[in-house]
Amino acid sequence: MAEWNAYYHNEDEDEEQEEGEQADGTYKITGRDSLVFLVDASKEMFIKGEDGQPSNFDMTMQVVRSVYTSKIISSHRDLVALVFYGTEQSKNPRNSFKHVYVYHDLDEPGAKKVQDVDALRGDKGAQLAAETMGSGETSLGDALWCCSNLYSDIKLRLSHKRLMIFTCRDEPHSGDSTKDRQARTKASDLKETGVVIDLMHLMKPGGFDASLFFCDIVSPPDDESEMGLQLKPSDKLEDLTKRVRAKDQKKRAMARLKLCLGEDINVAVGIYATSVSARKPGAIRLYRETNEPVRSKTRTFHTQTGSLLLPSEIKKAQVYGKKKIVMERDEVDVIKKFDEPGLLLIGFKSMERLKLHHHIRASVFLYPEEDEVKGSACLFSALLKKCSEKNVFALCRFISRRNYPPRFVALVPQKEEFDNGKVQITPPGFNAIFLPYADDIRTLDPPQHPSASQTQVDKMKEIVSKLRFKYRSDAFENPVIQQHYRNLEALALDMMAPEETEDLIMPKVEQIDSRLGPLVQEFKDLVYPAGYNPESKPAAKRKTAETGGGAEKKPKVEVPEDELRAHVQNGTLGKLTVPVLKEACKQFGVRTTGTKKQELIEALIARLG
Amino acid sequence: MCYGKQTSASVLCMDVGFSMSNSGPGEEPPFELAKKVIQKFVQRQVFAESKDELALVLFGTDATKNPLHRDGQYQNITVHRHLMMPDFELLEEIENQIHPENHQADCILLFVCMKATSNLLLLIITGQKPSKKLPVTLSPFILVVTVNRLVIGISSFRGKKYDRLNIALLTDLNTQASADNLEIIIENLKQVGITLQFFLPFTLEDNEEGGADPDRRGSDHPGTGKGLSREQKSGLDMVKHILLSLDEGEGLDEVYSFRNALEQLYMFKRIERRPMAWPCQLTIGSSLSIRIVGYKAVTEEKLKKSWITVDAQTAEKEDIKRETVYCLDDDNETEVQKDDTIQGFRYGSDIVPFSKVDQEQMKYKHDGKCFAVLGFAKQNLVHRHQFMGNQVVKIFAPSDDEHAGVALSALIRALDELKMLAIVRYAYDRRSNPQVGAAFPCIKRDYECLLYVQLPFTEDLRQFTFPSLDNKKLIPSDAQLSAVDSLIDSMMLVEQDENGEQKDMLKVHHIPNPAFQRHFQCLHHRAVSPGTPLPPIEPWLKAALEPPEVISERCRGSLHETKRKFPLIEVEKKKKLKTSAQIFGKDSEELDAKKAKAAEDEEYNLADIAEGSVTSLENADLYNSYLQSLKRSIPNRGLEVFWDLLVQDSITLINSDEVEGSTVSKNEANQFLVAEEKKEETSAPPAEDTGDVDDLVSVYVDVFCVSSRF
Repeated sequence: MAEWNAYYHNEDEDEEQEEGEQADGTYKITGRDSLVFLVDASKEMFIKGEDGQPSNFDMTMQVVRSVYTSKIISSHRDLVALVFYGTEQSKNPRNSFKHVYVYHDLDEPGAKKVQDVDALRGDKGAQLAAETMGSGETSLGDALWCCSNLYSDIKLRLSHKRLMIFTCRDEPHSGDSTKDRQARTKASDLKETGVVIDLMHLMKPGGFDASLFFCDIVSPPDDESEMGLQLKPSDKLEDLTKRVRAKDQKKRAMARLKLCLGEDINVAVGIYATSVSARKPGAIRLYRETNEPVRSKTRTFHTQTGSLLLPSEIKKAQVYGKKKIVMERDEVDVIKKFDEPGLLLIGFKSMERLKLHHHIRASVFLYPEEDEVKGSACLFSALLKKCSEKNVFALCRFISRRNYPPRFVALVPQKEEFDNGKVQITPPGFNAIFLPYADDIRTLDPPQHPSASQTQVDKMKEIVSKLRFKYRSDAFENPVIQQHYRNLEALALDMMAPEETEDLIMPKVEQIDSRLGPLVQEFKDLVYPAGYNPESKPAAKRKTAETGGGAEKKPKVEVPEDELRAHVQNGTLGKLTVPVLKEACKQFGVRTTGTKKQELIEALIARLG
Repeated sequence: MCYGKQTSASVLCMDVGFSMSNSGPGEEPPFELAKKVIQKFVQRQVFAESKDELALVLFGTDATKNPLHRDGQYQNITVHRHLMMPDFELLEEIENQIHPENHQADCILLFVCMKATSNLLLLIITGQKPSKKLPVTLSPFILVVTVNRLVIGISSFRGKKYDRLNIALLTDLNTQASADNLEIIIENLKQVGITLQFFLPFTLEDNEEGGADPDRRGSDHPGTGKGLSREQKSGLDMVKHILLSLDEGEGLDEVYSFRNALEQLYMFKRIERRPMAWPCQLTIGSSLSIRIVGYKAVTEEKLKKSWITVDAQTAEKEDIKRETVYCLDDDNETEVQKDDTIQGFRYGSDIVPFSKVDQEQMKYKHDGKCFAVLGFAKQNLVHRHQFMGNQVVKIFAPSDDEHAGVALSALIRALDELKMLAIVRYAYDRRSNPQVGAAFPCIKRDYECLLYVQLPFTEDLRQFTFPSLDNKKLIPSDAQLSAVDSLIDSMMLVEQDENGEQKDMLKVHHIPNPAFQRHFQCLHHRAVSPGTPLPPIEPWLKAALEPPEVISERCRGSLHETKRKFPLIEVEKKKKLKTSAQIFGKDSEELDAKKAKAAEDEEYNLADIAEGSVTSLENADLYNSYLQSLKRSIPNRGLEVFWDLLVQDSITLINSDEVEGSTVSKNEANQFLVAEEKKEETSAPPAEDTGDVDDLVSVYVDVFCVSSRF
């Protein structure tokens, strides 16, 4: 059993390594995303809908909260701000704008901010809003100006700037053309600095007519397919309220390498990890008293002298066959070096040569890097096309980074695919499938059983067909991670209990049962004899069969002294079992602190050797 | 379940007699080859850390050293090492203490040896001493008894269970053979279940007239040029007789020539692990379950041992202690006890304290071990490149449950016929996280099973989009496509041979992990020749990692054509770190490695630090004044080349446009580098001695990272 457990540990380590690998890639800091919510706080926003429907303001706060909490998990480094316009009170950095209330300055979202937004929800929230901000005159121009100041006050590099206006008034200035013009000017200023202005128009009696004013304010849609304004407001809102509890992954190459076809034909490719086991985010160690983060320092020192050791005073060793083999630290690295990082083409094989069970780790994706070697994309494209046509994969030797031993990969061509909306769903490139070495394949001794009859198979086919569904790789959330995020949220926001997690990888037993109906019994009747219970242990226990009654086999634990001495002399103590060794220790009055085999052996050698 | 530890016991019997050192001119004498075989064999055992035990018996020694030696009997046999786990001591002994001797080992000796060893093994298993009186004559079979007695006499491990007993005899068979008593020996070996292996200077085929099968271990072995002697021939006949009597079918496969053996022993033993059974139940809904057993079938194997850190002087790990301390982020770096720390997690800009106890209590819990079907899907919806995890588990029915076997077979066959698979929830046990995965049907000639592979969770997927390659500028021309077409054709690794059978020239899963091979090669080298530099990678291993020679030959033309059709121009990368050699005029691997390390570390530390503080005014100034002082020190410290790099990358002062509060204007910043460029021509060549190389490297990286933040 130990071995299986070991696997789980290994897995963790591997992932760590994998993270490391990525970190090592050319990680370019591209700046942070930013999002400003500019929310109308006029009286109209607080009007409740029919049948006690929440007011537009309430709905907006819900959206803001949901974006905040999503951002916190997916990309907490992004900046968000919450600004109200059309308020009575004013609050902004230089207090130069009237009727603009900066509720949250452009900053990273956190628990406090979520709670602040929470406070503005519901009846109480409306009341609080009325008390702190009130509703007053509207000047969208001022509001936009204020927002542009928020952006310019930020010293960080921002990669994406977005501003969302939430309002239910299509004529905010009620026809005041000066104010309208001012707002248009400010909007175009903002757009010039790269801010994308988006409108979330909310329901209003008589409908919201964006063409009256807002069509000049918002940024034009990116392309024709995205009909920006035409979208129903409810759809957009729903999109925004969709909670995402997954870390946002920036597209970046793990490595940029040469794919050598032979001679000196080198194509530059980027290596991307397209699926990596997501883990809970790492813990941070805090000082118990103050909850402030602590740093850890690891130092290596000499046991006797207590002095700190320099790297040069340390070597590495392994023990084999009772001999300690010592190497320099850099030798340990050099041993792993076979060649410079890169891919070397070995040859091609037809696709059916790629065995399903030859899987040792998640694949990576290759895409040409025209920036490194001009002409790469063309040759890459030709290879991709021809491999795909001929239904072959390229076998390559792959050294992923400096001082990493080689592995072999199968480069499987992947054609570009689009969905109905012409959105790319699979990018063009090669998937590199890692292939196992001889050491990675275990020899099994498969049990021999008769095959099922066609009747039995057919019955099972009925069962299979009943439970058929369309598999999608993004259909299952990881319940462990989801639970963790919810717990964290509950703690951070002082909630009574974490939100419920739906375990999507739990079989829907009732549904399955009802779909299958009598089929299960029919199948069981075909394959199982009466009285057979697959849940219970088989009748004949192997253990007893093998040993023929365990009781008398209890090992005699005493070993004659001379024999023991012989073992010590020959270094063969390891052959004895732990109980025998323990007994021997007792016999010679050897005191041991540990109970591990090695410790027992060492103690005995110390006494008898 | 407790598996009895299964080990095998082998006795290596090596002929060190006179004739073993005979060889033709320029050939390696059989003695040396046999010694190498033994060395390689022992090495493998040592590094595989197998529990298998080895004994080494020499015959044909001038001296006699064995417990049976009494009244002039059992002479010229030396038990060099009794049955125990092999170690480096043994390797050293083999290297230094085993020499060819003058005594001629005869066939009798050989058989004595065989008999002795086999009886030895017999005794060990039964734990009984042979009751038969030792025969007085030097009949071969008796000898076997003797040796066994001898070895046992030294150390008797009664009741020890071996699952395999083997005697390997290394000899040139240059002995007068007598077939007397042969049957008794054979009977003896059969009864005890001892296997025999012969290692000879020649192959079996060498003796066969004409009709040597070319596929079987090539017969061009040196040392046999003159043909076999009469003794060797008759010895060989006897060997064949024995082996065929022991194993009618494949007995003769147990004869190896020294050279073949060496070739096979080049490789270090592959790491083998005993498959562990994972019993569970496959469930479909609440009332249909099938008993199953899972075995890891494919997984990335790791070396069993990791490096320990030792003191450079004493090589003792006890002399070194590693300690991790925690300290507050204040000026004094106040240390705090580990017990006074708790875990926290980032929640946006906050860090939420979350103790381990709370985590344990609140974490996702499940019912434990399971293999439950969520539903069935078409196989083509699960893509190969979406496989996750690092293993493939084969699912069988338990060997003692035929009904489960039939039920599982029905599922496997149903899935296979429908081209479908099962999507399952898999949890190894209560402590491990559940997975979602696919169970593929797999039907082989002699067994059926499900193949389980983990699939991604939605959190694991990174749906990146990439620009289309159907871009007018990039689309390859017809001529280009046909060049690639013929390149692929010329590099096909799978071919049909004359018999219409598919021949695969390179099966990756037959290659031993080169990292392990290299690892053991280096360890072995260091162990036997301490103080010498590590050896180069062995040629056979290097060759195994290159395209097969046939392919390289065959694709030459089409490669050339491809090269002609596709112009590839390397883009000058200004960002590329120049090698340390270029910067410092030194060329050393070590330096390179260090630099890379430093670069990694620095980059990350700096990125972190910079994240929070770069915006502040002091930092920009600090950085600027550092750069200015660096510039001033160029002539003194011989930093011209380094400076050149800064200029090349336009790493200059941070100006007020970039960071508010910087006292440097944009113009000044630009001038800062320009002025230097002019000077450069007259500047002296970089000094040979660059002083503190490590410092410089990290400085360079620092500058680099900081500047890229703006």
